[in-house]
Amino acid sequence: MPNLWDMAGTKKRTKRLAMKNKDASSPERKLQCSDVSKCFQLLERILDGELVEGGKEMLQEKLDKCQPCFAHFHLEQAIREVLKNKCTKQPLPDKLAESIRQMIQDAR
Amino acid sequence: MSEVHRRKYSQEERSVIFDGEFMPHIDSMYNFAFRLTFDEDDAKDLVQETYMKAFRFINSFEQGTNAKAWLFRILKNSFINDYRKKSKKPVTVDYQEVETFYNSDDVDYQSTSDLRAESVKDMLGDEISNALNDLAVDFRTVIILADLEGFTYEEMAKILDIPIGTLRSRLHRARNLLKDKLKGYAQSMGYGRDEEEN
Repeated sequence: MPNLWDMAGTKKRTKRLAMKNKDASSPERKLQCSDVSKCFQLLERILDGELVEGGKEMLQEKLDKCQPCFAHFHLEQAIREVLKNKCTKQPLPDKLAESIRQMIQDAR
Repeated sequence: MSEVHRRKYSQEERSVIFDGEFMPHIDSMYNFAFRLTFDEDDAKDLVQETYMKAFRFINSFEQGTNAKAWLFRILKNSFINDYRKKSKKPVTVDYQEVETFYNSDDVDYQSTSDLRAESVKDMLGDEISNALNDLAVDFRTVIILADLEGFTYEEMAKILDIPIGTLRSRLHRARNLLKDKLKGYAQSMGYGRDEEEN
């Protein structure tokens, strides 16, 4: 799907690249990921704090070089944040804690 | 249970553990119970029952280990044993839904690739809550444990009594299903459709 934000960025970068000739360490991100399935699962594990060894470097590499990975990472991050902020606030009914303490007292 | 002979806690120790290590988790416990049962009274009963069991079996809790995970495991087992049975809501997994996702590996990303972080951030809260509630209970549970409560994979595997590999793939499927539902909301909000982008 065409995305104006990306296209504008790509245009700018392309222009810059054209002027500078080819730059090996270009921040250009590829628009296709060669292995979304593997990459996305990896990104999710990193976000879950489960992958430690070499995870940081791998993540930086993906975010720098792959647009689908970049987008997926930020989407997953946003979902986690919204879930945590919006779905954990079920108000505790009045006196529930109190009645549990009472039940324990009685059971002793 | 380990073969180590469990000591018995004194009455005073029991009070210290109960008040100091169990009670602080009551908000998370209630939130979990409510998201499993969708009913305030059932959630209340479930939490009460869990705490009663926790007290009764307090000697099998090892002080200094993760009390929250231990409590969540009791709550989840109580839910399966009591509430799932009497619940009128169909709580079994929607197999068509599961099958679609189990049989597709790369395909599933295409369906959510046009959901963007920005549109998720703009959601008010009801959408995400509804999307979560819409998931079959097994998928809903892993999202709650992982994203709402921040349990590690290892802790979740123990809470649910499943191998870590199963946990990992269930969580991944759950996330894809959730994104799919969110995509529906995002579209109805006017995001993600070609003709509405300018």
